Amino acid sequence: FHPSGKQGSKTMNRKKGDKGFEICINNINFQRKSVVGYVELTIFPTVANLNRIKLNSKQCRIYRVRVNDLEAAFIYNDPTLEVCHHESKQRNLNYFSNAYAAAVSAVDPDAGNGELCIKVPSELWKHVDELKVLKVHINFSLDQPKGGLHFVVPNMEGSMAERGAHVFSCGYQNSTRFWFPCVDSYSELCTWKLEYTVDAAMVAVSNGDLVETVYTHDMRKKTFHYMLTIPTAASNISLAIGPFEILVDPYMHEVTHFCLPQLLPLLKHTTSYLHEVFEFYEEILTCRYPYSCFKTVFIDEAYVEVAAYASMSIFSTNLLHSAMIIDETPLTRRCLAQALAQQFFGCFISRMSWSDEWVLKGISGYIYGLWMKKTFGVNEYRHWIKQELDQIVAYELKTGGVLLHPIFGGGKEKDNPASHLHFSIKHPHTLSWEYYTMFQCKAHLVMRLIENRISMEFMLQVFNKLLSLASTASSQKFQSHMWSQMLVSTSGFLKSISNVSGKDIQPLIKQWVDQSGVVKFYGSFAFNRKRNVLELEIKQDYTSPGTQKYVGPLKVTVQELDGSFNHTLQIEENSLKHDIPCHSKSRRNKKKKIPLMNGEEVDMDLSAMDADSPLLWIRIDPDMSVLRKVEFEQSDFMWQYQLRYERDVVAQEEAILALEKFPTPASRLALTDILEQEQCFYRVRMMACFCLAKIANSMVSTWTGPPAMKSLFTRMFCCKTCPNIVKTNNFMNFQSYFLQKTMPVAMALLRDVHNLCPKEVLMFILDLIKYNDNRKNKFSDNYYRAELIDALANSVTPAVSVNNEVRTLDNLNPDVRLILEEITRFLNMEKLLPSYRHTITVSCLKAIRVLQKNGHVPSDPALFKSYAEYGHFIDVRIAALDAVVDYTKVDRSYEELQWLLTMVQNDPVPYIRHKILDMLTKNPPFTKNMESPLCNEALVDQLWKLMNSGTSHDWRLRCGAVDLYFTLFGLSRPSCLPLPELGLVLNLKEKKAVLNPTIIPESVVNNQEPVNSTNNHGQSVGFQNTFSNSQEEEEIDMDTVHDSQAFIYHHLNMLERPSTPGMSKFIGKMIVWIFQRFQLGVGFVFFFTTTGMYHAYKSEKLRKK
Amino acid sequence: MRTALYGSKMADTATGGSGTRPGGKQASTPADNYYLARRRTLQVVVSSLLTEAGFESAEKAAVETLTEMLQSYISEMGRSAKSYCEHTARTQPTLSDIVVTLVEMGFNVETLPAYAKRSQRMVITAPPVTNQPVTPKALTAGQNKPHPSHIPSHFPEFPDPHTYIKTPTYREPVSDYQVLREKAASQRRDVERALTRFMAKTGETQSLFKDDVSTFPLIAARPFTVPYLTALLPSELEMQQMEETDSSEQDDQTDTENLPLHMSTDDSGPEKENASVLQQNTSLSGSRNGEENMIDNPYLRPVKKPKIRRKK
Repeated sequence: FHPSGKQGSKTMNRKKGDKGFEICINNINFQRKSVVGYVELTIFPTVANLNRIKLNSKQCRIYRVRVNDLEAAFIYNDPTLEVCHHESKQRNLNYFSNAYAAAVSAVDPDAGNGELCIKVPSELWKHVDELKVLKVHINFSLDQPKGGLHFVVPNMEGSMAERGAHVFSCGYQNSTRFWFPCVDSYSELCTWKLEYTVDAAMVAVSNGDLVETVYTHDMRKKTFHYMLTIPTAASNISLAIGPFEILVDPYMHEVTHFCLPQLLPLLKHTTSYLHEVFEFYEEILTCRYPYSCFKTVFIDEAYVEVAAYASMSIFSTNLLHSAMIIDETPLTRRCLAQALAQQFFGCFISRMSWSDEWVLKGISGYIYGLWMKKTFGVNEYRHWIKQELDQIVAYELKTGGVLLHPIFGGGKEKDNPASHLHFSIKHPHTLSWEYYTMFQCKAHLVMRLIENRISMEFMLQVFNKLLSLASTASSQKFQSHMWSQMLVSTSGFLKSISNVSGKDIQPLIKQWVDQSGVVKFYGSFAFNRKRNVLELEIKQDYTSPGTQKYVGPLKVTVQELDGSFNHTLQIEENSLKHDIPCHSKSRRNKKKKIPLMNGEEVDMDLSAMDADSPLLWIRIDPDMSVLRKVEFEQSDFMWQYQLRYERDVVAQEEAILALEKFPTPASRLALTDILEQEQCFYRVRMMACFCLAKIANSMVSTWTGPPAMKSLFTRMFCCKTCPNIVKTNNFMNFQSYFLQKTMPVAMALLRDVHNLCPKEVLMFILDLIKYNDNRKNKFSDNYYRAELIDALANSVTPAVSVNNEVRTLDNLNPDVRLILEEITRFLNMEKLLPSYRHTITVSCLKAIRVLQKNGHVPSDPALFKSYAEYGHFIDVRIAALDAVVDYTKVDRSYEELQWLLTMVQNDPVPYIRHKILDMLTKNPPFTKNMESPLCNEALVDQLWKLMNSGTSHDWRLRCGAVDLYFTLFGLSRPSCLPLPELGLVLNLKEKKAVLNPTIIPESVVNNQEPVNSTNNHGQSVGFQNTFSNSQEEEEIDMDTVHDSQAFIYHHLNMLERPSTPGMSKFIGKMIVWIFQRFQLGVGFVFFFTTTGMYHAYKSEKLRKK
Repeated sequence: MRTALYGSKMADTATGGSGTRPGGKQASTPADNYYLARRRTLQVVVSSLLTEAGFESAEKAAVETLTEMLQSYISEMGRSAKSYCEHTARTQPTLSDIVVTLVEMGFNVETLPAYAKRSQRMVITAPPVTNQPVTPKALTAGQNKPHPSHIPSHFPEFPDPHTYIKTPTYREPVSDYQVLREKAASQRRDVERALTRFMAKTGETQSLFKDDVSTFPLIAARPFTVPYLTALLPSELEMQQMEETDSSEQDDQTDTENLPLHMSTDDSGPEKENASVLQQNTSLSGSRNGEENMIDNPYLRPVKKPKIRRKK
């Protein structure tokens, strides 16, 4: 069963000659949360002597396997269930990460591995040698699945359909193996026949065309027959069953939308826009939507907001909204557009291997970006690109880099391209979720860089070519070898680019795809009046982690008095200084209008500028054609000109950010002008609000006039006759709506000389709340009211405490009393008239936590804990959990930490479990270099257990646990653990004694990594040798490791340590374990002992070589 | 319906009353005297109305029946007017109570003035009054208004003019924007606070301060069985608001949404009904009555009956 031979080897031969994988789920029990079914797959052997078939399967109970109607023996071995088996005191993360990566490798379908190993009955060996078809039939069941398939069963009266009970498939990357045995790879394509028998009141939505729906004989159930004739990977198969309401899209009858009962009006409104997205993609790709139908399903307790599968997408029900909701509308539309982009690239076109993932994510993200540009305009698009760029830059600088196209040479540790990370990037399942999010972000940014290089026209041609090749291939029903055209690989993609455009983009790929890191520029300039030359100095930092050296062209735009001029500088190894000749002499005739980049000519007040210099402002890399961070120095007036007159929103945002450092009246004026300018992009104006608040605070002693923004707000939103009363709400103009929401929040950040929020501002906000009147408004004001509460929270400053007295009602500050009054009323009103997505409750909870933290209200997690319980709306739960996490950190509460960790293990909603770990990682109760009473051996054991075995049902959750462990304890052995018994380890191979690697202190361990996170920029040549002993030992392990058992076995052989359990015990444990997996009545089962198994692996490996 | 019921009930008691009383021969109490006097007057009224209508003679039984009917009618009017006046928290019926009563009894009030002023009407002489109650002479102010021609002179005089003459006065209505907004805001706030306090008092609460549970009472957080419904669906209040504020756009939308449905409704009557049901709930009717829909979508097709069991 050789990897290379497997390509397209799996086909299904049914009566009429159609091919496919067949799944049949006969019974779904919502009460017991169980599923019973069978799968049938046919294998076309491409090599002789195929005597074992490996499939992926997790948590399924397999009853019976038959190959060509003969009972077949099988073994189920899932090394990822428990990553490190032995009871040793190994607690360092390096060790775990290696073992985990090895375990995932051991079942990696792309390498021909799997958890389920079926032995082909010996009667069929001859049959196989003749390369004849094998038909494998597997009966399985799933009982209370913890991952992969999620049941939502509300606890109330009535039938399951009345309760709105539903079930859907979910998971991160290839997770299909959690709900049926398959080859869970994106590169194994086959056609599908799917059958689901469900309650008559339910609907089963799955991939492909619904061929027919048939009642069962008792008429109480229906069977949904689906057929997917387009070859599809198992990982793109999905399922959703529930009492869904059905809406056929009025514009496209082949598109069907599904939602939970009672939500149909919302579904109608939410999906009314989808056809435009369809039209857009089909037009730019000049290609029809590849599947014959499309289904959207909106479900509760979603794993992710958007999940795309072949011809269907599963969305969170919380994306649904009515016509009254402003803020959610663009967000939901973005989700719909994202899901649809992934239908083309990700579902229809799949990937060859994990290292080609970036192409799919890149293309789908890129065309989604084009949709954004068309729908929301160039300003929004550029703002988004800037935002994404800032995010990826910040992440790479923090963690040391994101690698899009990792190449693994032999799996040796020193070749590991991501050794700066605490996890392996060899498999999607070992990736930190945050890393994966950033990976996707970088992928689409790099696609944009390619577009910059080869033009959008060629780019779209390349996509069209990929799609048309794939759709030709998909219609080739009997030539499965053609199907590889439906898989995209990095090399194929690059070849396509070079064929279409004739351009060589190899340097670009090398810089951004084959290598991690971003560029960090520092720029400054001087104007040489005599030569009329701008002397620009651009330095780079390429030694810090996450950075790389950039060599190549760099665009610089200089706005002079006579116009705007682009210059392309060549960034080379040693040249830092660049002379740029200026076009205009310093100011001569004052009255002339100044031409801008876009051809517009404007009058400017030039009095602020330097009389000797014709330079208005300078921008480095204005088109964001390098993944970079630029720190550029120019004088305050230049930033002010840039803010006022540069038409690019990114430039305006950069200017606003820079102006924070220049708290002057001129900055104030520039910002207020921008705020008032209605032509200006609303996000820039919103940003200007916060900058203005910061400047006002820095200028507090010289500030004149009313508090910043107050008169502006009054002018824009209050009644002409009575300026203290806000107009009744009218949100028809979205720009002013967003500004109206933001201004009070920013104003509340103002502080007076005593560092308190000015009374005037607080009263102003309270009045806004008091006079808020939404009766005549077409839109809901829930987000606005929520932000007013946020504003109240922002106005809170630390309580003046008289020697740690207990917080009681009596010594409550009168201002805080007013705030608390509002919060109480809002929070109580939410119980009677709840707002959309309970935005107000969320803001109230946040505000209460702020009051607690500032010492106005006694710090107490009880309230938050009650809101965090299962049964509250997810946004509310997350806000409450965030407060508990914060409490845990501030009050160092062991009890709350335990409460959170229990929830991580037991909460019914996978997203909550993930989010708690995420929040704990972002706001940790302590970090690795910190002394904390919480840091103890029990916690280490608990977390270790959590990531070792407690989270095996959810890849994302396990990686989240690893992230938390890393944040709390670092890579090496946690400092709170006692030293292991043996400090020295005998290395038998080299006949040397070395320091036990588990107790090497952090700083030393750090040095072993090629890229260091704290010190050592230039990768010093020496240290690799210095510590080579321990390093070598690791390498030997990695070389031979195939799964964790073998890995452990190997270790046991290498290190005869008295503290580790003996071999015999270990084998015994293995056998018991296998017994537990397989119930009686399975037929005939082969058992291997661990040694046997190890040899089996070894022999297979030798055979491969 | 209500009047008919009341009317019949009233008539029952009236006839019951008249059935027992005249049967007793020794009737001589003052109450009985009043009763007989009223009865006599009514008989006179009936007779004069009959005369007016052109009858020359009538059987006693017929007059008795008509008298009985008239009495019932008047009694019901009185009873009903009393109810209306009590309903508005008054003890004395006013003109409007009578009007409402008449309307309720199916009488066209507008015809009354013309009827009262009809030329051929007969005026009944005043009933003999034995002892005129002495009305204390109060301060008189101004000239009492004389009776108009259609009112018999033995009816009571008009009261003093000051009791009914009105001089309209104008109080400036509160139209100041600021005051209105202020009022609306504080009213809403008071209602909200009162309501939430009431809810907090009557239910479970949480508190931010351990030492004080009453100053800032928070209604306890209660988990929902289906949390997304309350979070996503607009409240009835908002729905109402939405209907009020945007009608034009909403219409546009429904028009386009119904487009395929219009196509399907050009058949017979019952199917039209189905189509409107479909509009209400596409899911249920859509999946079952798929044939009626022109849209060919597999989810709208009917569910097939099972075939004969195939061999596995």
